[in-house]
Amino acid sequence: MAYIISDEAKDLLKDVKNFCDNEVLEQCKEFDRTGEYPADLFAQAGELGFTSLEIPEEFGGPGLSRVDTAALLEEMARADAGFATVISATGLGLKPVLIAGSDEQKQRAADLLMEGGLAAFCLTEPGAGSDAGSGKTSAVRDGDEYVINGRKCFITNGGHAQFYCVTAMTAKDAGVKGMSMFFVEKDTPGLSFGEHEDKMGIRTSSTCDVVFEDCRVPASAMIGEEGTGFETAMKTLDQARAWVGVLAVGIAQRAMDEAVAYGKERVQFGASILKQQALRFKVADMQIKIETARQMCAYALNLMDAGEPFAKESAIAKVYGSDIANECAAEAVQMFGGYGYIRDYPVEKLIRDAKIFQIFEGTNEIQRVVIANHVIGRI
Amino acid sequence: MKIMVCIKQVPDDSVKIELDESTGKPSVEGVEPIVNAFDTYALEMAARFLETGIEGEITTITMGDENSKSSIKNCLAVGASHGYVLHDDLFEGSDAQGTAYALGCAVRKIARDEGGDFDIVFCGIETSDETSGQTGPMLAESLGYSLVTNVIALEKKDGVLHVKQETEDGYNIVETPMPCVLTAARPNYDPRYPTIKSKMAARKMPIGELSAADIGARSDKTGESASLVKTIELAAPPKRKAGIKINEEDIEEASLKAFSIMTDANVL
Ligand SMILES: Cc1cc2nc3c(=O)[nH]c(=O)nc-3n(C[C@H](O)[C@H](O)[C@H](O)COP(=O)(O)OP(=O)(O)OC[C@H]3O[C@@H](n4cnc5c(N)ncnc54)[C@H](O)[C@@H]3O)c2cc1C
Repeated sequence: MAYIISDEAKDLLKDVKNFCDNEVLEQCKEFDRTGEYPADLFAQAGELGFTSLEIPEEFGGPGLSRVDTAALLEEMARADAGFATVISATGLGLKPVLIAGSDEQKQRAADLLMEGGLAAFCLTEPGAGSDAGSGKTSAVRDGDEYVINGRKCFITNGGHAQFYCVTAMTAKDAGVKGMSMFFVEKDTPGLSFGEHEDKMGIRTSSTCDVVFEDCRVPASAMIGEEGTGFETAMKTLDQARAWVGVLAVGIAQRAMDEAVAYGKERVQFGASILKQQALRFKVADMQIKIETARQMCAYALNLMDAGEPFAKESAIAKVYGSDIANECAAEAVQMFGGYGYIRDYPVEKLIRDAKIFQIFEGTNEIQRVVIANHVIGRI
Repeated sequence: MKIMVCIKQVPDDSVKIELDESTGKPSVEGVEPIVNAFDTYALEMAARFLETGIEGEITTITMGDENSKSSIKNCLAVGASHGYVLHDDLFEGSDAQGTAYALGCAVRKIARDEGGDFDIVFCGIETSDETSGQTGPMLAESLGYSLVTNVIALEKKDGVLHVKQETEDGYNIVETPMPCVLTAARPNYDPRYPTIKSKMAARKMPIGELSAADIGARSDKTGESASLVKTIELAAPPKRKAGIKINEEDIEEASLKAFSIMTDANVL
């Protein structure tokens, strides 16, 4: 663990690790198999305050630095990446409110999370993935209300969140300047959910369509000014990416830990396989990547805390963290040999879990577009 | 209702600990210190007891060095409202009786300071490091309180404490007057986890420090020189010999093999 964190966070980290080792890791093995949603586990995590970590102190949050929080999230991802995704997607759903919302909205969001709730961020649509600006969901003003119609897809925490931050077009022909962001609470009439997707990995998280059919919200549910929804969404993702990196590092760390523990015990040719330089070098390479990725996450998060520009660094943390998580997971399976390919052993799951980290919150191709834009600028 | 829970900080018992050949002591370096499991059950039982609508507070105390404060802090995050560390060079090397004497002095002193006797003084049945299981009963003796051991639940009925006491083949329900000393066995639930909030709050709570002089403990009653029990040597349990593997696939053949091994060894 190489995040440099406060004494407070060190204390919390022990508790989080204890909970993750005893509850999350064990229970999620079975939930990964069945694809069932571990509702009780998330209720407990909510009560323990895991979903409130990113709430600022003035709204009742714990007031930890981002790197402190990262250390806790990494531990959760080490236990189960799907579990950590649910926690982190709650942070993602909170961010638009913190970035552009009113104090009232911030307090409301904070209160819902502190009661143990989850949040969700609804940007992606069937026709608008990487090209998030091409969303078709609309919000039409009607007196003191907006009427939202449309379909969002692949929404983490869909159906389980207490509130949804949703992008919708308030001016159809104005392009991304016609997009606004809304705060939609769980029981709003006209809000419904699709089937829980049957996923390759992070199977303990729920992903589904979020559907709006004449879904009426008060005009006060708009987050920020009309027409700023796309900008808020992009600012949200700029921040969120570093957190994706943090979770990916947790997977990579788990992969290395498992590989080392197994490798010490596994005897071939009369000795532990970790006496073989070929495997020792694999471990060294994993460690180099993990530590580098972690420090990139820490750097991006420190920039955020310091109020410095961070978008490029956050994108790098996401791309690099998720790429190395996939590399480390694959190498861990390799070091387990045939056993690595068998479901009773813990590493094949890591490959399945790691893959999504190169896809969501902006694919790694899109991240490279972002990074290149920052480096090259206008030509 | 005032409850005192006595806790001990012990090395994490989920880690396999070896005897250090050179010192003759268990090598616990790098092993995370934790609150003794039975003490956490005592605290959880006390917390649940009060949560049934009984007004009261829990105080925790430990006899240990400076770093046992972290264990007290953990208790403050899961139900205790006050915490004390009893620390003095004089206490070094105490046996169970010396420890119970010192704890007894401390319980009385804190009761005086906090304005009222403790109704219940709770301990774990034993600690995972020394497993003597004597401190609780000796503490009852030292305080002159009644004692119920192996407690797995408690309830207050018509002003009387009803205590569920685990036995070899079931349980007893025991009525006891208060003040009393109870020793906790393992109930059928796990202690709660601290929340982020309760842990952050616990970190800011003051922890009282008490010395031998503060509690009026006498040097002839506690510490190494007063110890009646002396540890002469610690020995690791002998390593179990490797067993015999029976590789026959057929059940009948495997049973025959097992029988022949047992007859050869003259155990049948
Ligand atoms: C499990 C899961 C959870 C998710 N959670 C959420 C959530 O909570 N909220 C939310 O809003 N969304 C969520 N998503 C959606 C996710 O962010 C999108 O799937 C992702 O942004 C990619 O969009 P797409 O699937 O439409 O792929 P497409 O955009 O169709 O991309 C297909 C391929 O083309 C490449 N590509 C596209 N455009 C370019 C380009 N300009 N240059 C180079 N390559 C390009 C992509 O990189 C990719 O390889 C989630 C998705 C999944 C699977």
